[in-house]
Amino acid sequence: MSGATSVPGGGTPAAARGGPAGTPAPRRRRAPFGAPVVLLAPFLLLFTACTLIPIGYAVYLSLFSERRSGLGFGGATTQVFTGLGNYARALGDAAFRDGFWNTAQYCLLYIPLMLGLSLAVALLLDSALARAKRFFQLALFLPHAVPGIIAALVWTYLYTPGISPVIDALNSTGAQVDVFGHPLPAIVNIAVWEWTGYNMVIFYAALQAIPREVLEAAVVDGAGPLRTAFSVKIPLIRASVVMVGLFTVIGSLQLFTEPVILHDVAPGVVSTWTPNMYAYSAAFERNDYGLAAASSVILALVAAALSFVVTRFTRGRDEKRAGKRTPKPTEHRTETAR
Amino acid sequence: MSSPALHRRRALRLAAAATATVLGVTLLAACGSDGDKSASGSDAGSDGKPVALTFWGWAKGTKDVVQAFNASHPNIQITFEEIPSGNAGGYAKISNAVKAGNAPDVFNVEYPQLPDFVSQGAVQDISKLVSADLKGKYLPQSMELTTLGGSTWALPLDASPQALYYRKDLFEKAGVAVPKTWDEFKDAAAKLKAADANTRIATFFPDDPSTFEAMAWQAGAKWFGTSGDSWKVDMGGAETKKVADYWQGMIADDLIRVQPSFSQQWTASLQKGETAAYLGAAWGGGVLKSTLGTDPAANGKWAVAPMPSWDGQPASGMLGGTTFAVSKDSKKAKAAVEFATWATTTPEGIQARIASGASSAYPADPELIPVAKAAFKTDFYGGQDIYAIYQDAAKSIKPNWSWGPSMGATNTSMKDAFGKLGQGATVPSAVDTAQQATLAELKNRGLKVAG
Repeated sequence: MSGATSVPGGGTPAAARGGPAGTPAPRRRRAPFGAPVVLLAPFLLLFTACTLIPIGYAVYLSLFSERRSGLGFGGATTQVFTGLGNYARALGDAAFRDGFWNTAQYCLLYIPLMLGLSLAVALLLDSALARAKRFFQLALFLPHAVPGIIAALVWTYLYTPGISPVIDALNSTGAQVDVFGHPLPAIVNIAVWEWTGYNMVIFYAALQAIPREVLEAAVVDGAGPLRTAFSVKIPLIRASVVMVGLFTVIGSLQLFTEPVILHDVAPGVVSTWTPNMYAYSAAFERNDYGLAAASSVILALVAAALSFVVTRFTRGRDEKRAGKRTPKPTEHRTETAR
Repeated sequence: MSSPALHRRRALRLAAAATATVLGVTLLAACGSDGDKSASGSDAGSDGKPVALTFWGWAKGTKDVVQAFNASHPNIQITFEEIPSGNAGGYAKISNAVKAGNAPDVFNVEYPQLPDFVSQGAVQDISKLVSADLKGKYLPQSMELTTLGGSTWALPLDASPQALYYRKDLFEKAGVAVPKTWDEFKDAAAKLKAADANTRIATFFPDDPSTFEAMAWQAGAKWFGTSGDSWKVDMGGAETKKVADYWQGMIADDLIRVQPSFSQQWTASLQKGETAAYLGAAWGGGVLKSTLGTDPAANGKWAVAPMPSWDGQPASGMLGGTTFAVSKDSKKAKAAVEFATWATTTPEGIQARIASGASSAYPADPELIPVAKAAFKTDFYGGQDIYAIYQDAAKSIKPNWSWGPSMGATNTSMKDAFGKLGQGATVPSAVDTAQQATLAELKNRGLKVAG
């Protein structure tokens, strides 16, 4: 980043650097084949072994189906190339599409709720009125320290009629609560409980990084605490909000643990409730690895497309806002100059 | 004008997102692969060292059986791993291990899922290792279900005739006699509910279609059959329709509880006396006893009766029932069959299982019924001779039922549809959904379907 300071105007610095290039040039030429290769090799190796190969294998699996002959007993099992057949089957299956619909509903309910809550709590903690900040930070973060499976099991206990003290207390007042009849709010509730504190910490850290003079200026200009929060603080931590939003969208698409645990006790959470569960069920309940691979590739593509849209959308706005700092000019400009 | 750095970063971000999701499935596949390496070792025994077998199962009392076997067989040593019951993830674990090439030598599989495992090529043909003599020891209905396409694929542990478990005190309090027909069962349900608005007679398990399937079997339905090398699937016949309509009526009239099988909810409502009976099978006697028997007050309150039938004559299907199968790649099939034979046809094997206290398995080898009867402590049932009830029920198991080759898909679709009961789905519509899913799955596997 330090290089940016030396580039106030445009083409001139390249020309200025061109002069003394004689001495640093060999060092620069050696660099691409030396240190970077050595330093990148472990990453590339692991990236290939743990990411590229599994993805490739999943794509490969998704193009084949297992076929048997006769009654299917004792005969040979053949792998048949079916092209995009598995993809067509996944997309043609209402259960798979329902999974995306469930996820969409989940996102619509969960993301605004969780973002709003964690932002509100972060702003409260950041305000001058807050007392015992450390304690509340820790207390609010604590749910996130509980592993997702344990959290889901604890909530399942609290949801189960006949066992849960909460449900029993509610029912004894005459209100008939049927949590398992409405699994979506039940799952959103678990996620909000798990993630609000975590994201609050991110927002709080971003708020702490806001220069104090900006806030003082706002106060001098006569802004009250609410006005400062909405017009100064939130715009200044927009980048954090966007990042949390992006991670949350991708995380939501991978929703698995909580519905799987609830699936055991709430039959309304069907075995294909989310696209991830569909892939799991296809692989391990129906032994259809081709279909499982195809549906997870589709899910990956949707996740990639979504994150592309979110980053594209927000970066476009960022660039418009901060049009003056068009950074990163150094390397490729010197190259084109040569 | 975006720089290459930004391009690169975007590409990385996309790759990261894509990876995360795909990895989900591949990593899951990898999770099951930490199997026991000793299983793939050389075929021992000849060099004087004992044959080391690995075995996965969940049937009650299995640990005691393995201990007894190891103690009496110095030439074969078994490492037993208790896995979740098939429906609760055990089958997924097994087929995953088979796929990954590190399956145990022997595993338990229930009758309904055996054809599925055979069809997947996960199970070894053990016809050559099973003598006609040995086959003759088992109840014919059990042997029928482990013989597929003319070959023997597994040895049956238990026959699982249906049975009705009920609370004597609650039935007496409501003035209800033990129902002999399904009409009487419905009347009894209404009377129990009238006596106490919180009480229901029994539970419909939406997560486990096997109870419903046993009911269809009992009514005389035949869901799967073959003609030549084609499958016939008939889940829409009159008998099935009758059973589906009956349970739909019970649910619609709020005469039966809808709760997941063996869930905490189910246990809690039995403990509180809010559910008065359990529609189970022979093995359910041990499950019920070990689930509720920890409370001394529950002892002696429960009793067993024959399952009600449509015409009042004894009739039964089979609900579950366990077999021993040898995995495809095991090189120790001979030792595996020796163990399975010992566990299913010797007094010692049955004695060890039943004496564990948690099992009331009804041996598939009828000669061993007296052994099981003697070993089962029946205080929980007030000293009732529960094996006599099972024995009569076993005689009334309807013959010629067979299971389809894709019960995984059939059951998954049926339980997902049962999960939507009260939200648009009914029991008959769920059966129809399962029939469609089954046909689609058979075609997808390249199997022929007649008609």
